[in-house]
Amino acid sequence: MDAPDTDSRHEVAGDRTPLLRIRGLGVRFQDFEAIRPLDLDVLNGEFLTVLGPSGSGKTTLLRTIAGFQQPTAGRIEFDGRDIADVPINRRPFNTVFQDYALFPHLTVRENVAFGLRVRGIARATRDARVEDALGIVELEDLGDRYPAQLSGGQQQRTALARAMICEPRLILLDEPLAALDATLRRQMQKFLKVVQRRSGITFVFVTHDQSEAITVSDRICVMRSGSIEQIGTPRDLYYRPRSRFVAAFFGASNILEPCRIESTGEDTTMVSTPFGTIRVDGPPPRVREGLALAVRPEALVPAAGDACNRIECEVVSVSFVGSETITELEHSRTRHVLTMKTRSDPSTRQPVVGSRLEVGFDAAACALVKGARE
Amino acid sequence: MTRNRFIDLPLAAVAMLVYVSLYLPILLIFLLSFFSMRRGKVNWDTFSLSWYAKLLENDALGGALWNSLLVGSLAVTAAAAFATSAAILVRSRPDSHSARLLEYVIFLPFLLPPIITGLSLLIYFREAGVGRGILTITVGHTLFVSAIIYRIVLTRLNALSRNLVEAALDLGATRIQTFRFIILPNLRMPLLTGGLLAFALSFDETMITLFLSGTDATLPVRLYAMMRVGFTPTINALVTLILGFSILLTVAVALAWRRNADSARMTSGEGRT
Ligand SMILES: Nc1ncnc2c1ncn2[C@@H]1O[C@H](COP(=O)(O)OP(=O)(O)OP(=O)(O)O)[C@@H](O)[C@H]1O
Ligand SMILES: [Mg+2]
Repeated sequence: MDAPDTDSRHEVAGDRTPLLRIRGLGVRFQDFEAIRPLDLDVLNGEFLTVLGPSGSGKTTLLRTIAGFQQPTAGRIEFDGRDIADVPINRRPFNTVFQDYALFPHLTVRENVAFGLRVRGIARATRDARVEDALGIVELEDLGDRYPAQLSGGQQQRTALARAMICEPRLILLDEPLAALDATLRRQMQKFLKVVQRRSGITFVFVTHDQSEAITVSDRICVMRSGSIEQIGTPRDLYYRPRSRFVAAFFGASNILEPCRIESTGEDTTMVSTPFGTIRVDGPPPRVREGLALAVRPEALVPAAGDACNRIECEVVSVSFVGSETITELEHSRTRHVLTMKTRSDPSTRQPVVGSRLEVGFDAAACALVKGARE
Repeated sequence: MTRNRFIDLPLAAVAMLVYVSLYLPILLIFLLSFFSMRRGKVNWDTFSLSWYAKLLENDALGGALWNSLLVGSLAVTAAAAFATSAAILVRSRPDSHSARLLEYVIFLPFLLPPIITGLSLLIYFREAGVGRGILTITVGHTLFVSAIIYRIVLTRLNALSRNLVEAALDLGATRIQTFRFIILPNLRMPLLTGGLLAFALSFDETMITLFLSGTDATLPVRLYAMMRVGFTPTINALVTLILGFSILLTVAVALAWRRNADSARMTSGEGRT
């Protein structure tokens, strides 16, 4: 089994201290390992997104942190103390559920007040704080409605206010925007980000949408079949994926494989690929075996005589999709297919299907990643 | 499907016939409790409430009515407590073997022929040395009606988001607070509906009760006993009263059922405005 991935270079954003230290955490359902022992630091005040395909263990990880799920291995430290014995209702964490889980028989106001009510906070204090929370999520006017009388976005904001009212140290959000339509989703992404910044509360947010993750996160933790594949800032993952899986997840769909390292320099590596020798900028790879080269479709440019990496191809298909034009190319020698995404421009002619085309890309625009065989 | 008059008309006629033959005897009993009959014809001039007055004089009947109401209330209360706990338990671990087993145990007395249930309980109570009376009848009715309340409560619990309990705990509530503030309020309508239905069932139950009642007869059992002595017009009056009460209960159940369905729709979030 792979050792848990703990590369501090990418894990620590700034010099913030960890709020949660997760060490060797594993969750097993009978003979199925939903979470393979993993390490993860959640930093104080950050917006951390857990990103991964369906079934990768995101919900299980979140539920284990919240206390709904008992880990079968490892531990979670909060502020330096193991919280294994702290029951759900004593953890200073609150959850926003995917289906919001609003109490149907209580009004918006009563839903939001619930956390204070069960703690026995006096009515006057309670009311003031509820009004504050409703103000933050812009629901002052709907306080007397029942959840069934709210739109999806309003329900979502009620759930957020309810989770925030007890001033938790950590808010866990499990795909809270999944049920919303695209426009509302983008609005809510911005909104969540703003609320998180203003409140300073640490957010751990689950999604399987990479563009959503890029928009909202300080850091992204990519999960795959129960393990952490890579953790880093959105830019890190976008431009410096470390595995073929992460590269593909973030849209770097051109994978050149197999690769062999010819020579490494201070900040450049020469790689021999089926497409010829390619120059790659960036720190030299940590392993030299089983590598692949990931190139983003938008990094490819046609007829780039001055680019340092050039590939001779034949145009297979051209599709105009509005602001972009997507061209499928076939490498002349190996029959590998590449995808090129260029900005559509009315003044230049589209490539002709069947014609030869030399495409180029920058040495900084590609990344050496772990290949299919790991 | 297209409607066809040549099929619809005969169908309607048959349906009418069935209903008339079903309800005619009941109508007859109703009429006979007020009027007397001569040569197959109701004599409309003989209206009187004398048979009802006779009922009032019959102390045994008053006792039986009281027993029925008492047994009904006790059995419904016990069954509600039992069925609700069982439903919550089954809901919390629906796939476990013990949950399956519990469901069988609850449904069995409802599905078994009442004569079997009654006889088994009778033998059991005799062996255990428990004398027949209100207590034994109540136990029998509790077993019998639990299934109804259980089913209705479980349906509602299933409609509630599974996350509600977790959400409450997550927000700092204790288990008891979660039950009181979150689960119980959502079970009000199902408990009312199930309780009324269970009461109606208990009120009419005869077979199990026959085995379990000693000297404390319920209304249907008393009626049964009266019939064996001989058919008197008082019986018509009694049946009419029981019928009236049952109809009232049924209407109440139907109304509660509708409101229950409405509140279920609110619960599952379908009833958006
Ligand atoms: N209670 C359970 N019993 C058995 N297996 C489970 C249980 N809960 C989750 N799993 C399994 O663990 C794996 C991870 O599930 P999890 O819900 O964490 O995935 P996810 O990343 O949240 O997926 P999605 O994006 O679909 O929500 C899945 O294969 C799932 O079938
Ligand atoms: Mg999930």
